[in-house]
Amino acid sequence: MPYFFVGAATIYLILFTSIPLLRGFWFSFTDSLLLAPTEGKFVGFENYRRYLTDQSFYSSLWTTIVYTFVVVVGAVSLGVISAIAINEKLPGRAIFRSMLTVPWAVPGVSVVLIYNWIYNYDSGVANQAVRALGMGQKGWLIDPSLGMFSVAFASIWKVFPFIMLVVLAALQSVPEELREASKVDGADRFSAFKTVVIPHLMPTIRVASLLMTIWSIRRFEIIYLLTGGGPSGATNTIVINVYKQAFESSELGRAAALGILGLLLSLSVTIVYFAVDRKNAKRDSL
Amino acid sequence: MKKVSLTKILRWIFVFVLASFAIFPVYWMYNTSLTSVGGLFGGQNLIPRVKDSLQIFNVFFTEVPIWRWLRNSAVVALGTTISSLAMAVLAAYGLSRFRFFGKGLLGFSLFATQMLPEALLIVPMYALFMSLGLLNGFTGLVLANTAFVMPVAVWIIKSAMDGIPYEIEEAARVDGTPRLAVLTQIMMPLTAPSIAAASVILFFDGWNDFLFASTFITSSEKWLATVGLASFLGEFVTPLATVFSAALVFTIPAILFFLIMQRQIISGLTSGSVKG
Repeated sequence: MPYFFVGAATIYLILFTSIPLLRGFWFSFTDSLLLAPTEGKFVGFENYRRYLTDQSFYSSLWTTIVYTFVVVVGAVSLGVISAIAINEKLPGRAIFRSMLTVPWAVPGVSVVLIYNWIYNYDSGVANQAVRALGMGQKGWLIDPSLGMFSVAFASIWKVFPFIMLVVLAALQSVPEELREASKVDGADRFSAFKTVVIPHLMPTIRVASLLMTIWSIRRFEIIYLLTGGGPSGATNTIVINVYKQAFESSELGRAAALGILGLLLSLSVTIVYFAVDRKNAKRDSL
Repeated sequence: MKKVSLTKILRWIFVFVLASFAIFPVYWMYNTSLTSVGGLFGGQNLIPRVKDSLQIFNVFFTEVPIWRWLRNSAVVALGTTISSLAMAVLAAYGLSRFRFFGKGLLGFSLFATQMLPEALLIVPMYALFMSLGLLNGFTGLVLANTAFVMPVAVWIIKSAMDGIPYEIEEAARVDGTPRLAVLTQIMMPLTAPSIAAASVILFFDGWNDFLFASTFITSSEKWLATVGLASFLGEFVTPLATVFSAALVFTIPAILFFLIMQRQIISGLTSGSVKG
């Protein structure tokens, strides 16, 4: 009986997720090309060996880690700060809350179009502002030392509302008695916040950070369309690299191997997360 | 008393600044969509001169085939919603109400799909769809998007069903009502807000899809709005006012639906993910 209900979804996931995943795994050991995916020859670990001995793989890995770190730290801090700031009553709160939610709903391609124009070298509003401050003109998307910042900034703008909304939901579930108790004890607002509210929020922030990390590792369109991995590889994350290997260089086998390496990165983050989470749970229960 | 109101004012200013930061790029799209070519260079006005605020809809009368793009996007979005929802509602009920062999594995797989980069799966999917003749068609896009977003819908709907007490459906089961009828006549109405939230997520996953649409679709007749809009990047023929009018017409439905449904979406996502 239960299989009747879960059957369709299970078969679907096997057909369109598991089998492609296994097939991708198989491709990673072949020299398949895009136009003739089934005619590749088995080459063993050759694709992996090439990446693991290639300096450019490590710089792409590093770029992925930096991008992920910056976006997660940026979005989580901004999201938590926004949630706390908007949690209490203030005039126009509903409107502010909606305004703060909007970026999350804006489709990725629209995010790219607008930030591409904001960052425009000659006429973008970013340079208009910077010029007004007397700091000259910046090549937001063309200067290799700024590319990562610009792409991360646009990404943080898009995703921080998710953290804000999740944390806001958790804040509203802080039991009133808990807060009351800390007030009776004579704790001032700030320390009550630190000792009562923050611990209550931590599980939520941890899970949201995990999701944010996984999503950042696999983020594609904002990076691909804003910089295409440039300038000079400054934003060339593994996912961008996989796509370019497959659809620009037509190297399906090599792309698959790189994709598997990227997946291992997500997987290890998740494993570390659950290990830490278990340890925390143990400590909390003692 | 005075001191309290001062911190209140400071907090209000702080929130105002945050909210302005959040809304500015969208406002800037709107501003640019009302600015003529001459007004774009050498300092765009912060407030557009043109008074006609509905000018963005002029984009429907330009060369840009925005109608066709939006229609194509809507077809893929609806297809993704319907196919995902049908499977997700059934699976959510199964996961919520039964114990069975493989349940843990299925639950884990649903989470694991969140880890898979589309850019990795798109390679074997491309090979698969090529052999099935599904490249350059909407069916392939619906199938691909469903694979990635259907698990999210299962997650949301299951957690809503977990919150419905057994007793409610047991009364009906005593009367001999079949399980499927219990699901459609009792459980679905009770979890309607979550199903609606899941639908919004599903619909806009299809609506926003760029990766699959740009990789699988080769003829410009079948471009989705995302691909059409992205084609403006790096071309300097279409006036920016037109580009951003098109982008706004494409963006506004997403903003409206997410704002209307934000409570349900968040409670669905959090109860699904935070509690395990």
